[in-house]
Amino acid sequence: MNPISDAQAPDTDKDALRYGVVIRPPVYRLDARAFVCSQLLHVDREALAEEGVTVVADGNFVGVVATSHEAARRAAARLPLRWSTPDRDATAVGPAATDARLRRDYQWPGRLAWGAEPDWVIADFIDGGLRLAGPVASTERLRGELACLLESDPQRIHIDGDAEAGLGRQGSDDAAADAALLARAIGRPVAVRLDPDPYARDAEALARARRLRVSGTADGDDFRVDDDLGYVSVPPLALWLTGRLTENLLRDPDAAALQFTFVQESFLDEVAAALGEDPVALRLRHIKDPRGRQLLKSVADQAAWDHPVENDGGADLVRGRGVAYSHRPSESGDAGSGTRSAWIADVEVNTVTGGVRLSRLVAGQDAGADGPLRPLLDATPLRDTLERKLLGLPSSPPPADDWAAPADRKLPAWRPSSPPARRDAPGTPALSEGVDLSPAVAVVANALYDATGVRFRSPPFSPARVRAALEERARPGKRRWWWAGALAVTGLLATLWPFRPSIAPVARPAANLYSAETIERGRLVAEAGDCAVCHTAEGGTVNLGGRPFETPFGTLYSTNLTPDPDTGIGNWSFAAFERAMREGIGRDGRHLYPAFPYTDFAKISDTDMQALYAYLMAQPAVAAPAAQNELRFPFNIRSMMAGWNLLFHDPAPFKPDPSRSAQWNRGAYLFEGAGHCGACHTPRNLFGAEKGGDARLSGALVDGWEAPALTAASRSPAGWTEQSLFEYLRTGRSDAHGVAGGPMAPVVAGLAELPEDDVRAIAHYVATQMDAPLSDPAQSERAAAVVAASRAAPVGQEAGQRVFEGACAACHENGTATFTSAKQALALNTNLHSQRPDNVIQSILGGVHAEGVAGAGEMPAFVHSLSDRQIVDLVQYLRARFAPGETPWKEVGKTVADLRREHDQQ
Amino acid sequence: MSDALHLTVNGERHAVRAAPSTPLLYVLRNDLCLNGPKFGCGLGECGACMVLVDGRAARSCVLPVSTLADHEITTLEGLGDGERLDPVQDAFIEEQGAQCGYCLNGMIMTVRGLLNADPAPTREAVVAALDHTLCRCGTHQEILAAACRAAGLAPSAHEGEPSATQGEPSAPKGEKE
Repeated sequence: MNPISDAQAPDTDKDALRYGVVIRPPVYRLDARAFVCSQLLHVDREALAEEGVTVVADGNFVGVVATSHEAARRAAARLPLRWSTPDRDATAVGPAATDARLRRDYQWPGRLAWGAEPDWVIADFIDGGLRLAGPVASTERLRGELACLLESDPQRIHIDGDAEAGLGRQGSDDAAADAALLARAIGRPVAVRLDPDPYARDAEALARARRLRVSGTADGDDFRVDDDLGYVSVPPLALWLTGRLTENLLRDPDAAALQFTFVQESFLDEVAAALGEDPVALRLRHIKDPRGRQLLKSVADQAAWDHPVENDGGADLVRGRGVAYSHRPSESGDAGSGTRSAWIADVEVNTVTGGVRLSRLVAGQDAGADGPLRPLLDATPLRDTLERKLLGLPSSPPPADDWAAPADRKLPAWRPSSPPARRDAPGTPALSEGVDLSPAVAVVANALYDATGVRFRSPPFSPARVRAALEERARPGKRRWWWAGALAVTGLLATLWPFRPSIAPVARPAANLYSAETIERGRLVAEAGDCAVCHTAEGGTVNLGGRPFETPFGTLYSTNLTPDPDTGIGNWSFAAFERAMREGIGRDGRHLYPAFPYTDFAKISDTDMQALYAYLMAQPAVAAPAAQNELRFPFNIRSMMAGWNLLFHDPAPFKPDPSRSAQWNRGAYLFEGAGHCGACHTPRNLFGAEKGGDARLSGALVDGWEAPALTAASRSPAGWTEQSLFEYLRTGRSDAHGVAGGPMAPVVAGLAELPEDDVRAIAHYVATQMDAPLSDPAQSERAAAVVAASRAAPVGQEAGQRVFEGACAACHENGTATFTSAKQALALNTNLHSQRPDNVIQSILGGVHAEGVAGAGEMPAFVHSLSDRQIVDLVQYLRARFAPGETPWKEVGKTVADLRREHDQQ
Repeated sequence: MSDALHLTVNGERHAVRAAPSTPLLYVLRNDLCLNGPKFGCGLGECGACMVLVDGRAARSCVLPVSTLADHEITTLEGLGDGERLDPVQDAFIEEQGAQCGYCLNGMIMTVRGLLNADPAPTREAVVAALDHTLCRCGTHQEILAAACRAAGLAPSAHEGEPSATQGEPSAPKGEKE
C-alpha cells in the first residue's frame, strides 16, 4: 500500500456524499387507463462492483450510486439489464359523436414540468428518518408518499424544499423519491440531478394522466362530463416502479377541483367562441348564485373587460385576454357557502419563441356566507407562480457566449439544523394563505385562445408547446423585399472590391490594459478554437506558426500568432484583428486564405473576440518570419479571394435560435464559431468552400485523416448518443466507440480546458445533428453483438492474422485485461467501418498518442517495424474481422504508400 | 524538460525528470536502475518489459511515464519481500522454467498479474494470459508447468496433453517468430 494515498483519505461529511442516477424501463407510461411498464427480468448487481458502483434494484426501479455524477452516469449507461416488452395495448377510442352536442377532450398531465431548471436533490436516510434538500415541494402529500415508499413514519421525514405546490406536480418529486430510495439502500447521503433524462422523459410518460371528455348543447346551457378516465394525482414514479403504490395516494380533492375547473371553464369559452358571445356575458347567464355573479361583475369592471386588448406589438407579439370562474362548495354543502373565484388575465405571446407573459392579472375571491368578499387579491405572487410553473418561463436564459460555469452544477448546501417544513393548510391548494387557485389554468388557456386563436386543451403552456401549436397554424407574413434588396446590393459592391485598405499599425496594448478575467476568457476562446493546434509547427514553439497545410491548391503555412511587432500580430489593432477573424483580411489589407477558418470565426461574439485579442496580446512575443506559401497559379493571387468571399462567406455573427434551448444555442455557438468543427467535418467543393445542404458535416478528408460524418450518416457500428458524445469529447474515449486520435486528439485536449457544461452543450448540439438520442439502453447490447461477431478469425487472411497476432493482439485481443490492453474493442471503432482505410493506416503508421488526454490511448508507431506489404495484409485482416458486414477496402497498397511518404517527410 | 514527475515504484516514491512521453521502461532501467524489466521489441509485442501497474500486468515500453503518476508500479525486484521470493518465482525455480532467461521477467510478472486478478485460474486462463508473452528458446513446457504450479494447478506439462484447448494456441508463442 502506498502510505501517501492513505494519508490523503479524509473522512468528512462531504466525502460521504454519493451520486445517484436512475435507469427507467425502456417502456413506461401512464395513460388514462393504466400504468404500462416493462418488467425488469434481470440485473447484474455485481457487474460494476469492482469500480465502486452500487446497483440498487427494487421491483422495476433501478439506480446506480457512485462517487461522482459522471461515474454514475457512465455506470448507468453500461449496466447490463434485461427487460420484458410490455404488451402493446390499443388505447381505446371513444365512440364517435352521433348527435349535435359539442364534444371536447381535455387532458391533464401527471407532471406540469420536469423541473424548473437543472438542479440537485439530496437525500440522507439515517435510522429510519429521511432528510431531503432541493427544489422539492414540501407538502404533506409528498411526505405521505415518501412514507409509503420507504415504509416509514411521515413525521420522520424532513423536507428542506423551496418550491411550493399548487398548480400541478413537477419532476423534482420523482427525483426526491429516487434519491430517498438510493440513500436508504447505501446508507449514505445521495445526490440526484434533475436532468432531462430521466425526468423530462418521466414528464412525457406521465403526460396523459387524466382525460376528461365534456359534451354540451351548442348554446352551452347544458353540459356534462361524459368520460373521466385516469388519475387525479400521480405520486412519484418510484412508487409505481416498486409496486408500493396504494389507492389512497391517488386521491387529491384540490387537484381534482383545479383540473375540473380547467375543463369546465375552457369548455364554456369554446361554447362562447362558437356562438360569438362575450365569455363574461355567457357566464353571467349561467351563474345562478348571486354572490358569484356579483364577484364576476366586479372583477370584470376592475379589469376593464369592456375595453378590448390592443394589439400593437407588431407581428411577433400578440395579446389576448381570458376569464375563468370557479365555485367550490364548502364541506357543509350549503347552497350559499363555498369559495367563489373569478380571474381575468391578459397575456402577451411571442409568436417566434412561444414565450407567454402574463401582462396583467386581476383575481377576486369570495369566501362565501361566512367569509369576506375580496374582489382584489394581490396578483403579483400569483402571476410569478403562473409564469414559472404553467408557462415554463426560464428565469432568463444565459447568452450563448456565456463562459461562466453555470450555477446549476453546485450542490445545495446541507442545512443541518433545518427548520420544520412549512405546513400547507390542508384542504386548499394554497399558494399564499387562503387563495383558491382553481381558475388559474383555465384563465391562461382562455387568454391564449383570445390572443392566438389556438385552443390549448392540456397544460402546461410552455414556450415549446405554444410554439409548436402556433407553427401548425402557420400564417403567411409580409416581407419587405425592396429594403433587403438594397442592402444586398450595397453588400455586393463592398465585397466585390478586391483591394482592401491596410489598418494602421499600433503599439502592442499594455500588459495591464485587460483584466485577468478578460484574458482568462480569451484563453478559453483560444482553447475552444484550438488556435495553437494550427499555429504551432510539429515540435515547435506554441503559436509561432510554420505548420504546413496540404491543400489541393498547394501548400500553405500558418503564421506567427505571438504579439511580435514585426513577424507576429504585435502591431495589429483590435479593428485589424477583428477584420481578419471575421472577413479574412490581414492588417495590411491582404486577403487570407480560408484554410484559416474565418468563415467560422465570424460567428464569435464581440465580447469573446475582444477577450481573445486580449489573451493573444498578453502572450510572450517571439520573432519568427512566416514561411512562404507554395500555391500554384492562379491560386497565389490573393485578391481572387474577394470573389470567393462573395460566393462562399457569410460574415454574419452568430444568431441564437430562440426556438431552441439555451444549451443547444451554447453548443451551436461553440461548434459553429470558435470550435470551427465544420472546417474539418464538412467536405469542400471544387473551390475549397464548405458544401451546404445534405453534405454539411457529412465527413471529409483533411491532412491525411478522415474526419467522420457528424450526421445521421455516421458509420459508427454501435451508434452515438448525446452521452457517449460527451464522454468522447470530454475524456477522449467512449466505451462504445474508441479513442480520439489524429487531429482530433488536440481538439479533445483543448476541450478539457472548457467548463464541463460547455462540452455537454457541444455534445447536445452534435447529437441533434446526428439525430442521436440522449442515451440509448440498447446501445450496449448492440455493441456487445458487434463485438461478439468479431470473435472468429476470417478465412483467407492468414498473412494479416500473423501480423495481428504478433504486433497487435497483445493489447487488442480482449481475452485477459491487462493495464495496457486497449479498452475499446476494435469492432466498435468507426474507422474500421468507414468507406476509407486512411485513419486505420494512419494509426498503424504513426501510433495513437493523445498527448494531453490522460489515459485516452497510447499506441506505438509501427512505421519503422512493419513493411507496406505487412500493413496491407493487416489492414485487410482488420477490415474482414472487425467489420465483417463491409466490403473490403480497395487500393490499400497505394494509400499505405502515400501515407508512409507523408510520415517520412515529417 | 518539464517538472519532476512522481512515481511510486515498489512502494517507494521517486521524483523523476523526464519528458512526459518517455516510456516507463526507460525511466525504470536508466533512472531507477531497476533492470528486472527488459527491453525486447519496444513496441508492446513481446512482453519482456512487463511490470505491474496497480497489480495488473502492463508493458512498460509503451506506457508514457506521465500517465502513471497516480498508480503503483511493481517491478520484478519488488515482488518478494526481501527475505522470501514470491511464490511465482519459487515455482519457476522449482520447474526450472528458463533457458536464456530473457523473457522470464515477462513470464513471471504476467503470471503474478493473472493471479492478482484470479487467484485460482484454470489452465486455459494461464495459457491465454501467457499467449502473447514471447519466448524464443522454446522453453514453453517448463514455463507453462511453472505457471501452473504457481496457480496451484498440477504441473502436468511433461506427461500427456499439453493443454485441454485445441492445438496451436495452447502454448506461449515464440516459435512463430
